[in-house]
Amino acid sequence: MADTNPEAKNNKPIGRTSATERDAITSDKFTFWLPDDAIVNPFDIVAVEQVNQPTEPNKSETFGLVTMLEHRTDAASHLSNYISANFGQVEDEPNTIRQGTTIAFANVMSNTADIYMPVPSDKLVSFAEKEGIERALGIDVMEKEDRIPAGLIKMSNGTSAVTFLDSKFVLGPEAGHVNISGIGGLATKTSYAMFLIQSILQTAKDSSDIAVIILNVKHGDLLQIDQHPEKQLPPDQMALWEDVGLEPRPFKDVHYYIPNGLNGKPNYFIEPTMYTQYAYDLAATADKLDLLFANVSDSTDTMESIIGDIMQNLETKNKDWVGVNSWKSLLYGMPLFDPKEGKTRGFGDNKVSSVGKFRRQLRRIVETNQSGIFVEARAKHQRVLANEIANIRGGHTYVIDIAKLKDEEQTLVFGDLIRTVYELKSEASELRTTKEPLPEKIIFFVDELNKYAPASGKESPIVQQVLEIAERGRSLGVILISAQQFMSAVHPRVTGNSATKILGRTGSSEVTQADYRFLDQDLRASLTRLSKGELLVSHAVYRQPVKIIFPRPAYRQTK
Amino acid sequence: MPNPSSSLSSTIQVLSELDILPATGGATEELLATDPDELDDILQNSENQEIAEFAECGPEPTRDNIYRATQPSFRPQDHLYRFFIDGSIRTYYLGTAVEEQRTFPVILSQIGAACVARKEDGHLKIQAHQQKLLLLIPAANYGLSDEMWRKLNRATAGTNLVLCDTTEQPLGREAAARSLQNALRDRAGAIARARMHDLERDLIGSTDAERNENSRLVLDGGIKSEKFMSQPYIIAVAKSFRKDVIFTFGSKKKTSESRKDITKLLMGLPHNHRTVAFSAEGGKVAFWYVRMRAQDEVDYPLKGVVKVEVALNNGNKITAAEADRISSALCGERNVTPYGKDNRWHCHLYPIYQAENAIKSRFFSNEVLLGSIRWNVKPKLSFV
Repeated sequence: MADTNPEAKNNKPIGRTSATERDAITSDKFTFWLPDDAIVNPFDIVAVEQVNQPTEPNKSETFGLVTMLEHRTDAASHLSNYISANFGQVEDEPNTIRQGTTIAFANVMSNTADIYMPVPSDKLVSFAEKEGIERALGIDVMEKEDRIPAGLIKMSNGTSAVTFLDSKFVLGPEAGHVNISGIGGLATKTSYAMFLIQSILQTAKDSSDIAVIILNVKHGDLLQIDQHPEKQLPPDQMALWEDVGLEPRPFKDVHYYIPNGLNGKPNYFIEPTMYTQYAYDLAATADKLDLLFANVSDSTDTMESIIGDIMQNLETKNKDWVGVNSWKSLLYGMPLFDPKEGKTRGFGDNKVSSVGKFRRQLRRIVETNQSGIFVEARAKHQRVLANEIANIRGGHTYVIDIAKLKDEEQTLVFGDLIRTVYELKSEASELRTTKEPLPEKIIFFVDELNKYAPASGKESPIVQQVLEIAERGRSLGVILISAQQFMSAVHPRVTGNSATKILGRTGSSEVTQADYRFLDQDLRASLTRLSKGELLVSHAVYRQPVKIIFPRPAYRQTK
Repeated sequence: MPNPSSSLSSTIQVLSELDILPATGGATEELLATDPDELDDILQNSENQEIAEFAECGPEPTRDNIYRATQPSFRPQDHLYRFFIDGSIRTYYLGTAVEEQRTFPVILSQIGAACVARKEDGHLKIQAHQQKLLLLIPAANYGLSDEMWRKLNRATAGTNLVLCDTTEQPLGREAAARSLQNALRDRAGAIARARMHDLERDLIGSTDAERNENSRLVLDGGIKSEKFMSQPYIIAVAKSFRKDVIFTFGSKKKTSESRKDITKLLMGLPHNHRTVAFSAEGGKVAFWYVRMRAQDEVDYPLKGVVKVEVALNNGNKITAAEADRISSALCGERNVTPYGKDNRWHCHLYPIYQAENAIKSRFFSNEVLLGSIRWNVKPKLSFV
């Protein structure tokens, strides 16, 4: 590995390292002072000269990530400054500018010769150059074909460098999954997820091996991702696309799935150019009733037992259940209800009161409070979503719209999809009818993951399904790209299994949660200051998180 | 890292040929009981205990009119002081040497001086700096033999260590008045101070091209000697000064009105005022006092006052307007102060404080310096 010396490269120094009696330089951190005219910000990457092995002709270089800056003066206390202003005369100008300097604190990222002795004091510090940034992050050792552009690092001196994720740690097999969090509207979570997916597809060795499933959870955000924007992207955004080495283009081969609405009409905010309508009749839902009741309180586990029994009976069609073939027949017919007496009935070991609760909840979900997704009998154009997804094709993107669905309906669809995909990849699924090979990787993007895998509460079938994907999905080729406002609101085993964490602007109370402990305290504080479009990327390969910007999506978006 | 004071180690080896009684507990830093500025004032103005002459004109002061208002003028209005020079000294008693029947102290001194320049925007920079290490030992009758002196000279030649004879000026009554050991130690301290002032004088030269009517130099302490007096556009500002001066105004009859001691004089000095200028050194120097801080801002009435000394040309008096300008600009220097870092904050000029820091930060630390002093002493006690 070639060694570089900041002085030799004519890279203008921005300060010198400084160790004092009280503030030592360590293997992990170093500090440096700045001259008055230097501008350095948190997340800048700097380089410092370091010793090297006697056999090497040049000094080695240590890279550090600036985490915090502070200004110190020789004033013993604030009182000194008050007195120095002639005992609080606000208008008085100081005759002499008090001696002071800005001190920058940096976390050690890497050394070009793997020397992690503390950086000596009084060594010149300069901004890392593009190659230095790649070394600092560990990008230089990534295989070229494994590099997924993840955004652009822009430093205070104007130097920029593309940051890459290692596909082995995003799509497996080493690690997988991406989790994105941050305040809604400011963190641009969905935009980043879509940029990352586009980046994965554009740089994949063979994009026909990758299928993408996207859940549209808000308005019509993702129902036009195959359309060009109405106005061309502004020049700065086009330049950003070029900088990261990607083509600004919409998604190709997109299939939209729109839920059935009341009166059989599609239930969408924005009508996609081509779409397939999906609906759930009892037959299509029989093996997913547990997902439908995932959010229903069940402190005594009686519901779980009833649902299990009903699912089994619907599947085996025991004699009492032969006539149960629609939601109405389940709700208002035998064996759960005696239409002659007009009373709920118990069955098996299930008491009348428990069955009554099941019926009340089911009636609320599929009848009184439903959006139209539940139908008594599906028409030909009202497809079964699981069957459609079972025939997923590599190189294609599937957008499932759940934006207008009720909470239980959204949970059912999410659970249905994730279970279908998992089964598809883990065992030979009877549902798959196409002869085409199953895509090697299936990327699953879902926003508001906290709804489906919350940090607290019982481990519902949905949570278990998400955990299956989080913990074993990467070995099967199922990759979860998830997003939520608060990382602390999501099950820690999901975020813990994400080898890549993307963080946008986050509230100050949220960053004090245990989920953010992987970040240095100073970096946590800086999360509260990120601007819109700025993100912090923590990736398994990186030694420290980096701040990036990324281009706006190049597909049509509705304000 | 090589020892930065290696020249000292080799010199110590030469000295070890003598019988050495190392200072108890190793070499120790000599701490002055009297403030250095005040000590300088006492030494420089030993003949000026009673002041009877004014050194100011236009208008001539009278005994009823000895204070003048000098409202502060700050840098944006009158950036008069651009250069600030301070010297610093750190002295160590290493031990007592014995050669034949002569016993004498071995003293080591670090001396340094720095000149700080203030830029137009108020920022400071180090304009020039000098530093020396002095080994102060008496020679001949009171100290080293000629042979040992030559050896030491050879050992120190070409190094940063300067060998000084503490008896270069003959010892007079002081030797008789005090013990010889103490007299020699005092003499060593005085020589070190004189050498430090030499460094300060050398630094003045670095500002020659830039000093003028509107760009002056402030020297910490007194005007000190004729060497300084010949330099134009310099004022000396002392934070502390002798407290036994008597001022006698206008009358040969020593009434209470015509005589004031310095305490009485300064107690009556209002904030942002100066005393009129008095004459010293036979009319070669004008000096006066300026109150930079109100008495209610400090806990002792004499705090917040500085003594200003200016060399006079050809016996001319200083004009009141000139003294006013100098004093007003000094009053403006009260912003910023080293409050909390230096007990003399109330009368310290911040750039001088920084010059002092610049010197001291370049001194060898006590650990480094004293760590390189290893006497090669063998037990010499004998009961025979």
